[in-house]
Amino acid sequence: MYKGQRGDSKNRFYQRRKICRFCVDNGMDIDYKNPKALKQFITERGKIIPRRITGTCAKHQRKLSLAIKQSRQIALLPFVGRPPQ
Amino acid sequence: MRKYETVVISDPDLQDQTRTELFDKIRNIIARENGIFLDLDDWGSKKLAYEIRKKLRGHYACLTYGGTGDLVRELERNLRLYDNVMKFMTILLSDDVTAESLAQELQDAEAARAAAETAETDQTAADTEAETDAAVSDPGTPAGETGSEEPAPETEPETAETVNDPQN
Repeated sequence: MYKGQRGDSKNRFYQRRKICRFCVDNGMDIDYKNPKALKQFITERGKIIPRRITGTCAKHQRKLSLAIKQSRQIALLPFVGRPPQ
Repeated sequence: MRKYETVVISDPDLQDQTRTELFDKIRNIIARENGIFLDLDDWGSKKLAYEIRKKLRGHYACLTYGGTGDLVRELERNLRLYDNVMKFMTILLSDDVTAESLAQELQDAEAARAAAETAETDQTAADTEAETDAAVSDPGTPAGETGSEEPAPETEPETAETVNDPQN
């Protein structure tokens, strides 16, 4: 057994601690008029990335998804993006 | 009274004059319905994320105003009638504002703008003193289209893999 490894865990992946980017940085604003910032939270297909992957907290994910949807509405973000090659 | 924000996407091929007339009409509607017009933010012509009326570009403008729900209804009804308007979206900014607070806000914004302008002229003056030609061309560069034309930033490899898997 390696030092530091938990005794009962086989195949346990190392998991990076997820932190909400909006909680850490107070200056980071969720705004539907800023598609550049929102792009980090959608896939190439244009889908909203779930918070279990990005680590965003529930409060900010709600605001984020609303902003993305508003941004799509005025054609700043795509509803359906180009499929990845 | 409530504070709203309406983003209007108008035809990019419109003449400047026609566009000014369009915005004047919108302003008139706001005034007619006892609203308070606060700001018109012109973003200029931007690339659209998807086609609207077979067009790939659109001229964005963002209007901020105070008013009632009736004003929004009337404004949106009119926007639907204008052929030049390709799309619009209204968003509620603040639920509880008074005419006085909006007037105050307008004053503050104007003061800030005046301050910024004087600062800018000071800056340009200083720049021109320092390096004669370079400063003049600098403020003239259009700042409208930063976001939309860049390729989508790479998502983290882990992220992309997990999300795209079911589609392959």
